[in-house]
Amino acid sequence: MSALIEIKNLKKYFNSNRGTVHAVDDVSFTINERSTMGLVGESGCGKSTLGRTLVHLHESTDGKIFFEDKDVTKLNKKQLTALHQNAQIIFQDPFSSLNPRLTVKDTISEPALLSGKYKKEDLEDVTFQLMEKVGIEKRYQYSFPHELDGGRRQRVGIARALAVDPKFIVCDEPVSALDVSIQAQILNLLMDLQEKQDLTYLFVTHDMSVVRHISDYICVMYLGQLVETCPTKEFFKNPLHPYSKALLSAVPSINIHKKRERIILKGEITSPINPKPGCRFANRCLHAGEQCRGKKIDLDEVLPGHFVACHNPDALTEIRV
Amino acid sequence: MDNSEKGTGLLSVRDLVVKYTSGGDPVHAVNGISFDLAAGKALGLVGETGAGKTTIAKTIMRILPDHAVKAVEGQVSFKGENILQIPESSMRKLRGKNISMIFQDPMTALNPVKTVSDQIAESIGLHQGVNKKRAYEKAVELLKKVGISEDRAKEYPHQFSGGMKQRVVIAIAIACNPELLIADEPTTALDVTIQAQVLELITEIRRDLNTSLILITHDLGVVAEICDSVAVVYAGQIVESGSLEDIFDHPTHPYTQGLFAAVPDMYQDVDRLSPIDGMPPDPMNIPNGCSFRPRCSHAADGCGEGAISMTQVKDGHFCRCCKAEKLGGESSCRL
Amino acid sequence: MLKLRKVVMAMPKQQPERYDKSKKPGSLPYIWKRISRNPGAMIGFSLLCLIIILSFLSPYIMKYDYSAVNMSERGATPSWEHPFGTDELGRDILSRVLYGARYTLGIGVGAVIIAATFGMLIGAISGFFGGKLDTLLMRALDILQSFPGLVLAIAVATALGTGLVHSIIAIGIAFMPIFARLIRANMLSIRGSEFIEAAVVINCSTPRIIRRHMIPNAVSPLIVQISLLIAQAGLTASTLSFLGLGVQEPTPEWGSMIASARSFIRESPHMVFIPGLFIMITVLSLNLLGDAIRDALDPRLKD
Repeated sequence: MSALIEIKNLKKYFNSNRGTVHAVDDVSFTINERSTMGLVGESGCGKSTLGRTLVHLHESTDGKIFFEDKDVTKLNKKQLTALHQNAQIIFQDPFSSLNPRLTVKDTISEPALLSGKYKKEDLEDVTFQLMEKVGIEKRYQYSFPHELDGGRRQRVGIARALAVDPKFIVCDEPVSALDVSIQAQILNLLMDLQEKQDLTYLFVTHDMSVVRHISDYICVMYLGQLVETCPTKEFFKNPLHPYSKALLSAVPSINIHKKRERIILKGEITSPINPKPGCRFANRCLHAGEQCRGKKIDLDEVLPGHFVACHNPDALTEIRV
Repeated sequence: MDNSEKGTGLLSVRDLVVKYTSGGDPVHAVNGISFDLAAGKALGLVGETGAGKTTIAKTIMRILPDHAVKAVEGQVSFKGENILQIPESSMRKLRGKNISMIFQDPMTALNPVKTVSDQIAESIGLHQGVNKKRAYEKAVELLKKVGISEDRAKEYPHQFSGGMKQRVVIAIAIACNPELLIADEPTTALDVTIQAQVLELITEIRRDLNTSLILITHDLGVVAEICDSVAVVYAGQIVESGSLEDIFDHPTHPYTQGLFAAVPDMYQDVDRLSPIDGMPPDPMNIPNGCSFRPRCSHAADGCGEGAISMTQVKDGHFCRCCKAEKLGGESSCRL
Repeated sequence: MLKLRKVVMAMPKQQPERYDKSKKPGSLPYIWKRISRNPGAMIGFSLLCLIIILSFLSPYIMKYDYSAVNMSERGATPSWEHPFGTDELGRDILSRVLYGARYTLGIGVGAVIIAATFGMLIGAISGFFGGKLDTLLMRALDILQSFPGLVLAIAVATALGTGLVHSIIAIGIAFMPIFARLIRANMLSIRGSEFIEAAVVINCSTPRIIRRHMIPNAVSPLIVQISLLIAQAGLTASTLSFLGLGVQEPTPEWGSMIASARSFIRESPHMVFIPGLFIMITVLSLNLLGDAIRDALDPRLKD
C-alpha cells in the first residue's frame, strides 16, 4: 500500500497574549491509501488542530505535508481548490457545522455545484444519489437542520464531504455528539463508504472503543506531541508508552467480571503555552526520571512498526515481542 | 421494580409520571417509573437522550421548572415520607443535606463570582448552622478530601480545570454527608483519564460515608464500574431492571440487548456494530403499546396493544417485554 | 444480529415534499408563523395596521380637512361633531391626528431604512475584514455614539435645517451605530462558526460565503431591532418636532401638535393628551411586535 498522506515535523503554533501555544509540535506520520489512521488523545492534545491543518483550515507554522507525494504545505488559491477536491472534513458538532438556513438539498448540492464536475441539469440527481449513499430518505430534501435529529444532520455533513468525490476525509470526532445507538449507525456508514469509495480516513477521537473498531493504525497525542504510533491490533495488545497505558486503563469496561489494574494518573495536564523541553508527560508519569526532562524525546522504533517517544526503561516494561 | 411489597429501602419511587407543556402540546417525559434504592447502594439509570432520566432526578430533588411542568403524579418516598407532597420549606431542609445532586456540566454548575470555599461553606452554613469560620474550616477539609489543596480554597471556578471543577461540585454535594447522592452524567464532559479519577473519588466517598447513589448515564462502562443495580430507561419507562450481573450478563429486553450490541467494546474485535434501527420516540408522541416496538426485531402483534407490564425473569430481575421469558439470553460481552 | 427490517418511525410530522419557507429559520414566514400565536403581538400588529389604513383614508373619509381653520370653534372639547375636539386654531383634532400618523411612522421607517442600510454596510465590512479597518470604523462609531441619540439628532437637525427629510436624515445618522455594531457582532460570531469553515473547505469563494452563508444568518436578528427602532425613531421624530426642529406647522405631526398645544394644557388638556395617546399606542404596538419577533427568533424557545 502506498502512502496517501505524509506529514513531516508538522508544527502549528498559535499566538496568544500569554505566549505561544504549541498546539501541534513536530508530528510526523504516514497514512496509507484506503486505510484509517486513528488519532487519539484527550482534550487539548492538538488532534483536532492537526486534522484541520491537513485540510488547510489552519496554515501550518512549520514542517511539511505531502499528498500523493506532492508537497501541499503551502498552496496558492488554485492549488488549494484542487486539494479540496481530494481532501475533505467532517465536523464533530452536527448542528453548528450546517448552515441553519439551507435545506438538506442545498447543503449537499453546493459542493457538487462548486466542483464544476457536474452539469446543472444533473445536479439534482447527484444530490439524491448522495443522499441515498448516506442513508437520508428523499423526503428530507427540503428539511432544515433544526428539524433533523443529530444522526441525520451528521449524515448530511458526510454527504456534503462526499459530494466532491474526495480521496481523503478528516473525521473530526464525528460521533462524539451522538447517542450511542446512532453512533453505531454512523460508524457502520463510514466503514461502508470507505470500502465502496476507496476512501482514506484520519479519524480523530478521544473514544478508545470507537478507535479500536474503526482504525487500522493509531497515533496517540499528548500536549501536541506524538507519543506512540503503531497498528491498532498491536496497540491494544501491547501499549508501550505510560500515557497510552494510563489512557487504556482509564476506559471503563462493560465486562463486569474482569478485574483490571487501573492506573490513576496524578496531577493535571500542563499548559501547552511555551512548554519546557523534555517529555511533556513527565510530571504525571509514575516512572519519570532524570532522562525524561531537558531534551526532546524522539520517536523510537522499539518494535517493527511500533514507535514510542519514551526512552525510560522503567516505563517501557513488558515489551512483548 | 413492580413488586407489591413496600419498599423498605432509603428511596422508593412508585408510578412516577411527569408531563411537561411545550407550546400547548404535552410532553410525556416520564411515564410510570418505579424503583427502590437501599441505603449504601448504587443504582445506575441508563438511557439515551430524551429517555427521561434527568427529569426523574429533578423530580426527586423537586427542582423541576415550575412553569413548564404540567403534571407530576406518583410517589417518591424518602425514608418513608412522600417528598412530593411535603411543603417547599421542608424540602429545602432535605435538599443539600439529605439528598444532594451532582450536575453534568461542571462549567455551569458553579457560581463564577464566588470562591470555591465560599460555595462549599454556603451549603454547610445553611444546613449545619455553624459560624462562618467553622464553615470555612469544614470547607477546606472537604476540598482536601476531594483532592484539592488548601491553598486553592480561595480561588474562583474559572481558575480550575474541568476535572477539578467537578471535584468542587462533588465537595459541595457531600458537604453535609447526604444519605442520597444523585449524579447526573457527572463525567460525560470530562476526559477519560480525569473521568477515572472522578469515578474513583465517588467510589471512595461512597465507601466512607455509606451514601446511596443514583447514577444517571448513557455510558454502560461507567455503570459497570460503580453500580450495584441497573434500571434501563426508554421513553420515560423502565424497560429492564435488576442487579448489575442480571443486566450485564443476561440482558433480556431487546433495547438493552441492542444497547450492548451497538456499543463498540475496547476489549473485543467486532466486524460490524449492530446499531438499533430508527430513533427514540418523540416524547410528544409516544406510540401505543410497547414504546420500543417500532425498532424491535422481535415485535409481534401482541406488542402494540395496551401498556406492557413488567415480567419477572429471575428473582429481582424484571423486564417490560411480553416475550421476556423467551428472550432471556446470555450477554455477548462476557469473555 | 438484528435483522434488517422496514422501520416504521414514530415521526410526528410528515416531512415536506415541497420547499416550506416557513420552516426556514429567520425568514419572514417563519417569524409570522410564530408571532401569529402571540396575542400581544397580534393586538399590536392590528392596531398598527388600523392606524396606517386610517391615516391613508383620512383625507377621503374625514368630515373636516386637517388644515381647515375655524377660529370660532377653537379649543372645543370632544363632542359628536368633533370626536377629539378642536385645537387652538379650531382644526379638527381627529382628522389631524389620523393624518399625522404618516409623519411619525414615515419618519420612523425612513430613518431606520437609512440607519440600517449604512449601518449594515459599515458593520458588515468591519466584521468581515477585521483588523485595522475594523478598529478605525469602530472608533469612528464610538465618536458618533458618544452623543446621546436625541442630542445628536438635534445637532444634525439644527445643522441641516427643519423639515421632514432633514428629520429622517438626522435620526438615521443617530441610530446608525446600533445597526453597525449589531451586524458586526453577528458577523464576528458567524465567522467562527463551523459551517463557515465547512463552506471554505468545499471551495466556496469569499464573495459567495459572505453572500450566501454569512449575511443571511447575520441579518435575521436585526429584524427585531428594526421593529423596536422604528418605535424609537418615531418617538424621536415627535420630540424633534416638539422642539421645533423637525416637521413644522401647519403639518399635523403629533409632536408638533403637542408643542403648539402646550400653553393651553390647563384649559384644553385634550389637545395635548390625544396626540400623546396616539404616540403611546403606536410605540407600544411596535414594541409588542418587536418583542414577539425577538421571542420568535430566540433559539432557546422551542418550536
